[in-house]
Amino acid sequence: MGLLVLEDLGRSFGPVRALHGVSLTVAPGTVHCVLGENGAGKSTLCNLVYGGFAPTTGTMTLRGRRYRPGSPAQALAHGVAMVHQHFSLVPTMTVEQNLLLGGRGLRLRKADLGRRLERIAGEFGLTVPRDALVGDLPIGARQRVEIVKALLPGPDLVLLDEPTAVLDGPEIEALIATCRAVAASGRSVVLVTHKLGEVAAAADEATVLRSGTVAGGGPLAGDASVPRLLALMLGRDPDDLDPAVTAGLGVRVDVATGDATDVDAATGDATVGDAAAERAGGSAGREPVLRVEGITLGRAGRTRILADVSLTLAPGEIVGIAGVEGNGQSDLVHVLSGATRADAGTVHLGGVDITRATPARRTALGLGVVPEDRHHEAMVGAMSVAENLYLARLGDFRRFGLLDRRRLDTAAADVIASFDIRTSSPRTPMGSLSGGNQQKVVLAREVAIPGLKVLIAAQPTRGLDVGAVDHVLARLRAVAAGGVAVLVVSSELPELLALCDRIHVAYSGRLLGPVPAGGERAADEIGALMTGAGRSAAAPANEETGAVA
Amino acid sequence: MMLTQILVSGLGLALPLLIAAVGELVSERAGVLNLSLEAMMLTGAFTAVTGTVLTGSAWLGAACGLCGGLLVGLAQTLLSVRLRADQIVVGVAANALALAATTFGARLLLDGDRGVTGFERLPIPVLADVPVIGPVLFAQTALGYLCAGVVLVTGLLLGPRTGWGLRIDATGEDAGAADWTGLPVRRIRALCILLTSALAGLGGAQLALSEVHAFSDNMTAGIGYLAVVAVIAGRWRTPGTVVAAVAFGVAQALQYALPAAGVGLPPAVLTMIPYLVAIVAVSGLAGASRAPSCLTVPFARA
Repeated sequence: MGLLVLEDLGRSFGPVRALHGVSLTVAPGTVHCVLGENGAGKSTLCNLVYGGFAPTTGTMTLRGRRYRPGSPAQALAHGVAMVHQHFSLVPTMTVEQNLLLGGRGLRLRKADLGRRLERIAGEFGLTVPRDALVGDLPIGARQRVEIVKALLPGPDLVLLDEPTAVLDGPEIEALIATCRAVAASGRSVVLVTHKLGEVAAAADEATVLRSGTVAGGGPLAGDASVPRLLALMLGRDPDDLDPAVTAGLGVRVDVATGDATDVDAATGDATVGDAAAERAGGSAGREPVLRVEGITLGRAGRTRILADVSLTLAPGEIVGIAGVEGNGQSDLVHVLSGATRADAGTVHLGGVDITRATPARRTALGLGVVPEDRHHEAMVGAMSVAENLYLARLGDFRRFGLLDRRRLDTAAADVIASFDIRTSSPRTPMGSLSGGNQQKVVLAREVAIPGLKVLIAAQPTRGLDVGAVDHVLARLRAVAAGGVAVLVVSSELPELLALCDRIHVAYSGRLLGPVPAGGERAADEIGALMTGAGRSAAAPANEETGAVA
Repeated sequence: MMLTQILVSGLGLALPLLIAAVGELVSERAGVLNLSLEAMMLTGAFTAVTGTVLTGSAWLGAACGLCGGLLVGLAQTLLSVRLRADQIVVGVAANALALAATTFGARLLLDGDRGVTGFERLPIPVLADVPVIGPVLFAQTALGYLCAGVVLVTGLLLGPRTGWGLRIDATGEDAGAADWTGLPVRRIRALCILLTSALAGLGGAQLALSEVHAFSDNMTAGIGYLAVVAVIAGRWRTPGTVVAAVAFGVAQALQYALPAAGVGLPPAVLTMIPYLVAIVAVSGLAGASRAPSCLTVPFARA
């Protein structure tokens, strides 16, 4: 008998079937993994179980009774809690205030909260800093608060939506330990993820979603089931994909035999194709095209956002910046793209000082940027694909002083075809495309900058399905092969290892390294740098170091 | 005493503004900007006077004032919470509508000088005899004392240190997170707007029944807007809002007091004073202020 039983569950949004015919059973006291790549319907499933919206077909049964949550409040009342991919904590409030939010009445029952926190600390080894402002906490600690918040009401079922996406190796290990402890206490855990490699260690059972329906599943009997699940999730042979892509899923693919084996989740270790190593020699000794020297951001005295960051890129070289998010890499991209002005330091592009140049001037000098926040910085969702592609160069499509839309559409159609962008027409609103296709449009636009010398791609594969990741990585390689210097900022270390010539690590506003990506122990070295080990003695240790378990 | 006079009339104008501002503060902390505060107050003043004239009882009139405010609040709730209409547009429309409706209503229902007896001043023995403070604070009408009490109770019960206040803050800071936490975001917002509108209606009644003793067209004349500004100037905190509301009231009183004192400023300049104070207050000269993150953002579950 299952704690939660879903039968033939489906949800449509207008004509789009986000989820259909999903049946699965979560047994009590187990960790059940729901696998699927981006866009497979995982978030929709979470929303249905947690009362975000109602199913259009099918039924849910909880503890043998019909379960139809109309809101998260009702789900909570039924003993279902959820840990969100995007945190459900109010950043401007303290941890304690956030944990008190779930209470009732006029009085704040702090003593009661204290007792329950002690119980959770005793049972699962989870402790939280009660008086800290949530917005100030590092991401790992914030997730711990989120888990504690979910456990506070004593739920029978805890859903975790992509919990590992923001964590580094040791944090993932601690999270898995917590999941096991929660399951051992008789509760059920549903882990929703696309990181297959992290599952085998944590889960008892797995269900694979593909294109909105169940593609398969079964008990997770150690590593043996991983290759089968990977093939199920992707719907094609993993060997067809760029090794960097499968590495990003937390799985190592042995090219010779086609066997997939589990990656050690603790270090994110993965040995992938030697493409990077092969190319590494070629670019050495060339005159750098991008020279970043001593970039500093943030006032003296307070914690520096960026501290004395220096970096050079030679033509044809792919350089990666790894690191747990929030260590300054986003800010560095903002400085390089001209969105933020650095407080000190210089940036030279092809010998020209662009430290104070406007973004338009940087573009004219041959700097392309694929921003991290696709929706807010990279595109205008309400405008068409064609308009988004040529927004900065609409002057090229002038006819009698007016915009020649036909020519614009024709030009866009060529790009759409060559980048394999799935859109019904060049005039389709950008916002209605899938994330992967939006990213292809952005990439296509940046790559097409006349006289492109340097391309900066920040988290280029985030939220994309495997096919799109494959495409984006191939494009980045092609651009580099064409003599452009490429800087990739990513939290997906395995991708960087497979793609880059050398990898820097962002830590507390500094750039550590670089580490040559082809090296035997590159992953270990980078992993150590990411946690601050081997940093210079002067570096501030403001990173949360407490482990979860 | 010149000063006493200015303060007496200043607080007289400040009290309706204060109760509306304290109500608006609650709404804004929950993420709803009621620009319709002006409409709520004007409707409250109109229904209070009409109710008093029709029933002959000032207390029933005050109750009518509260209900008049609630009526506008219901419309604001329906449009901005239920139908997720733009809060600013709803507010501006409500204000224009209320101005026209009350002007028209006064022609239909009220006659002559539109005057009412309303509430008498009830000086508290001993306390009212204290120089300056006495006449300013302790010679209000019964409705005035009630308003002050309501301000106090609202400030205490819905302050950020109570469970209710915390949940209101969460709703305005991060409605999505509040929803995932199991808070009824829409219900909290609806209740906050209704509370605001009831308080604003009461403020309108206080203005009409305790101070002016009559209804005149557009008699609130921007007090509702000033109450919204008082919340901003008070940086979304109760003490700051109270100080700002009282300061605006006194600034308005100066309009009448300065000519009486023989200061030869043109009336138009004097009319500008409260708004100049408001502009200085919101310009950031008085320190940085930060609105609730979800202010004016309608909530819908993703």
